[in-house]
Amino acid sequence: MAKRVGIAMDMTPMVDVGFLLLTFFMLTTQFKPEEAVDVTLPESHSVIKLPDVDVATILVSKNGELFLGFDSQIMRGNIFGAENMMKSGIEVTVRELGGLLTKARMKNPKLRTVIKSDKDAEFGLIEDVMKILQEVNVTRFNLVTNTEK
Amino acid sequence: MSDVQVRESRGKSKNTKKKKRRLGIRIDMTPMVDIAFLLLTFFMLTTTMSKPQTMEINLPPGESQVEVAASNLITLRITENFTIYWNVGSEKPEKIKFVELAKLLGTKSKANPRLITLIKVDRKAKYVTMVDIIDELNINNITRFSLAPMTDDDKKLIEKI
Repeated sequence: MAKRVGIAMDMTPMVDVGFLLLTFFMLTTQFKPEEAVDVTLPESHSVIKLPDVDVATILVSKNGELFLGFDSQIMRGNIFGAENMMKSGIEVTVRELGGLLTKARMKNPKLRTVIKSDKDAEFGLIEDVMKILQEVNVTRFNLVTNTEK
Repeated sequence: MSDVQVRESRGKSKNTKKKKRRLGIRIDMTPMVDIAFLLLTFFMLTTTMSKPQTMEINLPPGESQVEVAASNLITLRITENFTIYWNVGSEKPEKIKFVELAKLLGTKSKANPRLITLIKVDRKAKYVTMVDIIDELNINNITRFSLAPMTDDDKKLIEKI
């Protein structure tokens, strides 16, 4: 029988690298903000990235509900009142949308509007939303999509 | 006496040595490292590096009306069932498959660089339909397009085919 040799390896560098990576991932991780509803995004080949700040999101669910949300808490407090500050978005009607967007844009002129819609949502509703955007002079907006593989 | 003294001094030196000597502390780090790697794996697996993509759309402001010659206008009508009809100007609409759309638009826009694409999507169609069509236009570098509502006249026109 061969005698077993007790192998003692210096694990310090490995552990060091491990901790380095751990720190990196911990710091870079951004937890997905909770959405009012789950949407399945359509896919596209577009390469424009979604901006991080100054975003107003119009969320359209599969069943045709509309939600308006802002990335900053202050903005949400301003528009929806302090009690809704922590919610990522609140349900709005098509009619309210224009007014709320105008108000928000007055508070923050840099605001960019994005439409985040479920891919199975009815186009008619999106058409209405786009018409409203046009009416309140938001002529440039983005549609959020996933990258097509 | 001397003996004792020597002993004493020895003892002293031993004592001071004991006080000064750092204790080699050995803690078993294995559990900590285990936890660290567990967390590392967790963060690595949950991190999504890619941000969602967006498609940019520009609409003409409010009430502006742009006159376009009929020959410079290609209209795409998309029905509820994702059937695509196309026509230039006031020609008769023709059916086309989605995969052939890019080729058609490519040749048409090459022949007429001033061509504007007008997209009319049925209200009952799905949102993904519009995204697919616009994506197809973007891939083919057709930036001059506009969205228009599908009217009943449009529906009647394509129903006949």
